[in-house]
Amino acid sequence: MDKQETSIWRPRRPWAGFAEAGQIGESREPGITAVTLEGLGFATLIAGTSSEKLERATKRLLGLDLPREPCAALSDTHGLVWSGPDQWLLLARKRTGFSDLLVSLSVDAAVSEQSHGRSALRLSGKRVRDVLAKGSMVDVHQAAFPVGTAALTSFAHIGVQFWRTQDGPDGAAFEILIARSMAGSFWSWLAASAAEFGFCVTIDQA
Amino acid sequence: MSKQPLRLPNGGLVDRARTLSFRFDGKSYDGHAGDTLASALLANGVGLMGRSFKYHRPRGLLSAGPEEPNALVELRAGARREPNTRATMVELFQNLEATSQNRWPSLRFDVLSVNGLAGPALVAGFYYKTFMWPAAFWEKLYEPLIRRAAGLGRAAEFEDPDHYEKAFAFCDVLVIGAGPAGLSAALTAGRSGARVIICDEDFQLGGRLLAERREIDGRAAADWLATTLAELASLSEVRIMPRTSVYGLYDHGIYGAVERVSDHVAVPPPHQPRQRGWRIYAKRAVLAAGALERPIVFAGNDLPGVMLAGAVRAYVNRFAVLPGRKAVIFTSGDSGWATVRDLAEVGAHVAAVVDSRSEIKPEFKSLASRVGARVFAGSVVEATRGGRALRGITVRDASGKRTALACDILAVSNGWNPTLHLTSHQNGKPVWDEEIQAFVPGVLPPGLSVAGSAAGRFTLAEALQDGARLGREAASEAGFAMAAAQPAPTTDAEASELKPIWRVKGRKGKAFVDLQNDVTDKDVELAAREGFRSVEHLKRYTTLGMATDQGKTSNLSGLALMAEQTGKAICDTGTTTFRPPYTPVAIGALAGHHRGKDFRPVRLTPTHDWSREQGAVFLETGQWLRAQYYPKFTDKDWLSTVNREVLATRGGVGICDVSTLGKIDLQGTDAAEFLERVYINAWKTLPIGKARYGLMLREDGFVMDDGTTSRLGENHFLMTTTTINATKVMQHLEFCHQVLWPHLDVRMVSVSEQWAQVAVAGPRSREVLRGIVDAKHDISNEAFPYLAAREISVGGGIPARLFRISFSGELAYELAVPADYGQAMMRALMAAGQAFGITPYGLDAMSVMRIEKGHVIGSELNGQTTVRDLGLAKMMSSKKDFIGRLMAKREALVQSDRPTLVGFKPIDKGKSLSGGAHFVGIRRANKLENDEGYVTSVAYSPNLQHWIGLGFLKNGPARIGERIRAVDLVRNSEVEVEICSPVFFDHEGTRLHG
Amino acid sequence: MRIACPHCGLRDLQEFTYLGDASPSRPDGLAATESAMFDYVYLRENPRGLLEELWFHNAGCRAWLAVCRDTLTHTIQSVVPANKRKKGAAA
Repeated sequence: MDKQETSIWRPRRPWAGFAEAGQIGESREPGITAVTLEGLGFATLIAGTSSEKLERATKRLLGLDLPREPCAALSDTHGLVWSGPDQWLLLARKRTGFSDLLVSLSVDAAVSEQSHGRSALRLSGKRVRDVLAKGSMVDVHQAAFPVGTAALTSFAHIGVQFWRTQDGPDGAAFEILIARSMAGSFWSWLAASAAEFGFCVTIDQA
Repeated sequence: MSKQPLRLPNGGLVDRARTLSFRFDGKSYDGHAGDTLASALLANGVGLMGRSFKYHRPRGLLSAGPEEPNALVELRAGARREPNTRATMVELFQNLEATSQNRWPSLRFDVLSVNGLAGPALVAGFYYKTFMWPAAFWEKLYEPLIRRAAGLGRAAEFEDPDHYEKAFAFCDVLVIGAGPAGLSAALTAGRSGARVIICDEDFQLGGRLLAERREIDGRAAADWLATTLAELASLSEVRIMPRTSVYGLYDHGIYGAVERVSDHVAVPPPHQPRQRGWRIYAKRAVLAAGALERPIVFAGNDLPGVMLAGAVRAYVNRFAVLPGRKAVIFTSGDSGWATVRDLAEVGAHVAAVVDSRSEIKPEFKSLASRVGARVFAGSVVEATRGGRALRGITVRDASGKRTALACDILAVSNGWNPTLHLTSHQNGKPVWDEEIQAFVPGVLPPGLSVAGSAAGRFTLAEALQDGARLGREAASEAGFAMAAAQPAPTTDAEASELKPIWRVKGRKGKAFVDLQNDVTDKDVELAAREGFRSVEHLKRYTTLGMATDQGKTSNLSGLALMAEQTGKAICDTGTTTFRPPYTPVAIGALAGHHRGKDFRPVRLTPTHDWSREQGAVFLETGQWLRAQYYPKFTDKDWLSTVNREVLATRGGVGICDVSTLGKIDLQGTDAAEFLERVYINAWKTLPIGKARYGLMLREDGFVMDDGTTSRLGENHFLMTTTTINATKVMQHLEFCHQVLWPHLDVRMVSVSEQWAQVAVAGPRSREVLRGIVDAKHDISNEAFPYLAAREISVGGGIPARLFRISFSGELAYELAVPADYGQAMMRALMAAGQAFGITPYGLDAMSVMRIEKGHVIGSELNGQTTVRDLGLAKMMSSKKDFIGRLMAKREALVQSDRPTLVGFKPIDKGKSLSGGAHFVGIRRANKLENDEGYVTSVAYSPNLQHWIGLGFLKNGPARIGERIRAVDLVRNSEVEVEICSPVFFDHEGTRLHG
Repeated sequence: MRIACPHCGLRDLQEFTYLGDASPSRPDGLAATESAMFDYVYLRENPRGLLEELWFHNAGCRAWLAVCRDTLTHTIQSVVPANKRKKGAAA
């Protein structure tokens, strides 16, 4: 429903005013890279007494199984991230068709859209774990947090949901969601923590 | 005078190729990379480093490590000034600047050293005894005087300019201490593939190996050290952390550590923190923290030049500094003899060895004769001579015969105390080991083992064996299977017998037990005489073991002296338990990133930037920053701004961001039933497309929160909560569902962040909305009456929610759009409302309007008020059970004289009111027993043109029209007021339905 | 302290909120006497040793958990979701 780009009704993305493209801190080869993820669709899905019907629906509509433990099931276009008992975060890489998808899923789950309520980032780079270590009380070592693992926790007193995606060319990559209202404080922590490694910031133009 | 006159020509671990210049008390010196401030000063012949706490006596180095009680300096200057820094732990850097403490006007000439002459007045407990009377003198006279005279360094007077960080680490095996035991443990565990972290507070790894001349596997220990460190560095899962003190042990394998990232440079490099506070989660840990050498109490044992024997070896062997030219060794055990050998090795003159034991081993006798040292067996050092430095000592032998000896260094050895502090952080009591005459770790915390000297196993061979064995065990317990054990390396022979003496009774002169706090043997005796015999009382009465060193060199002597006084054994006298931190930790390292604007996370609404553009002044409400008011240049002051916003809203239309209200999405076939149970009023009857005001109680019957909840579908509700209670209410609902009624089909999630929500209030609000709501939605009064709540669209298809609810008492709406459009919504409303003089208003104007209408907020829902107190008792349904129903009926909560909500206004309309005032009857004294209630909210009403207020008054509703006083003793104000209805404006509510 | 959340795994204490004794069960508000409700609201055991407690994993999965903890040693014996717990198991 993002078609009204008339003069007044322009959307304002959650990282606007905080994240700017460029390099922060050390000017050498960046040890960590952040890409803001813009225009994704998010929704909370909560199953009722049984999640079997929901599982059939996600399988049919998205080709994804519902993860039963703290994991993220990801396809190129969508993802289902475990978010608590009988609860999942549905994500779509694009918002086109997202509201229709939510209507279809609402037969088998309580669906609450959160697309505008989350600020999302993809973090990668050789030093990404060293940066996460400055906030994460969850162990993100390869042995403890393999690809596909997801966690709900807090970094620097800010609630986060994050998961590890397929490794990129420079190693492990993570996608991180925080509450939209906290984007400024989160960015302040991230920039301060990443600066020593050289922090490259890219704004997703999607 | 040559530079660094006491630096040895060769040997040691300092880098002579790198000379570093530094300043101490304004004078320039040179040292080398690898020096500590202490070793560099000593190399320059500076033995006097500070003045003592109470008597201002000259003091020099006692130790070469973390236990240092004397050589405390102010490091750096200005905003980076750091008081009470142990010179022994400061790694030398170029342009280091340090200042001695606790002396005036200078270190060499200190006016207050006369305290030493007035000694008897400053004995234990002198604070309690001397300065008791008159009480009024304490604050103004005694305390400032004492503070100037006694005390440690000065804190910096400016904000710390450096950045600090917190970090978290996880490992299978944490090794604390990188001496021979720790390195062996880390190596063995690391070879298994386990994730290992090894920390050492020193900047060089090796522990005592750096300070001793020892052999491992037939070669210099340095070779073993180099090989071991190289192998550790090659293991990818081993993390080596020098300059890192593990200061505390907490439940379930959590360790606190501080990494001094940039303490060894003048200013942290760009983007580097000064220090990093670590929380380490370890499956297993090996404590290999070594041991601390013990001094002996004798007269004049505090003169610069009296030093621990192991420290002398550290200065000689590691730092290549000769602490003196003529040495005497005073020892009660074998370990002191190593100092004889090492001093002689570098060509120092060892004048004598005073061994308190009558039997001297043959190898020591031959060592003494080889180096030309006189041996005094069964003898003690009774006294010292010297002003600001040691010039000589008096030895007393078993027959009482006294011999005077000249010397400028006295190396004292009295055995070692295991550094077991961490084993005691969870109430573990150390136990007395008769054989080594020291406390050793008792019951260990789960997951921790102790290796080498820290366990009271003092020889190098034992350290290497323990390390290898415990490293292996720890890795295996953490799930890493190990190949067969390899034999531990062999070492050269080591004698470690000991017969400690705790003090030498002298004839005169002060004999110090605690050098940092200037506690003498006489003070301990006095404490015993006056009945302060328990260790805890001894500590508090004499200050023994307090302050920055926490008695690392004094606790056991104090205990031993008390045992002597009371005729008990040391083990029956008590033990010292230790609490974190092991050594001082800067607050910055604990706060990390969280200070100043990052003290805690700040939440910003989707319209924040728009409000800032409008010139808003923001107010912190909980974590949120909210627009408080929007001043214009034409406004005279704050009040005129607020008045303008109120009048513009009531006269036309205003908009106010209300995105911060908690929004909870509730779905499920039992959602209505669930609401019935958490709210006091009825919900099953609420039609779809309607909103209703709801109140919820705590189970104890007091009001918890309020807000409107709308029914979006048969099984779909949207609850709003107050801003402040949003988190608390969500948690409460989850408790009710998961713990109380798990069988109900209700599913809830916060959607607060998804929506930007704005109140559009005032008689012209509908007209403004018509300008942005898509035409297909009819929002006329008939189609969209008061309390309507529906999903609509704005701006040509943007999904939105419209609620006809009002906090201001005007015709009003709340409009919600997805947060990306929050800012656009404000701009669109401003454009649509331009013709009507639309005005943004902030929290202050909102507050004025809600007080005018008698609407309650957090000030009234303050946790002490009931529904009845709020005048809302009739909202409580009697047909159902709900949280708090029974407890709200308790006798004391329904008595008519409970303070109940009323409005009030000043009799003299020119007077202002103050929040927090109490109601006291006319002509009654301002006493607690005359207190009849209190004021919760006040505001100036521009509509009524006088101040108005809300408060709780005993039996309030029955007293409308009565006059009473609002007394504010804090702000010294007193206003006569008339009690009235809490609704000041539009009593009939006609504007609401307009 | 660390608590092994049955959903999220071993997590730091900072992620949790404490409520207290898990054993009182809420009486039916319409049927109960005022004194039974008073006991439920206010009366708690404060044992030295094992206690079943309610904790809320607020920074994690937002589950209410019944944690069996030794109040003396902080040893945690078991953690189960509060809505899966057998009623009266603690008594």
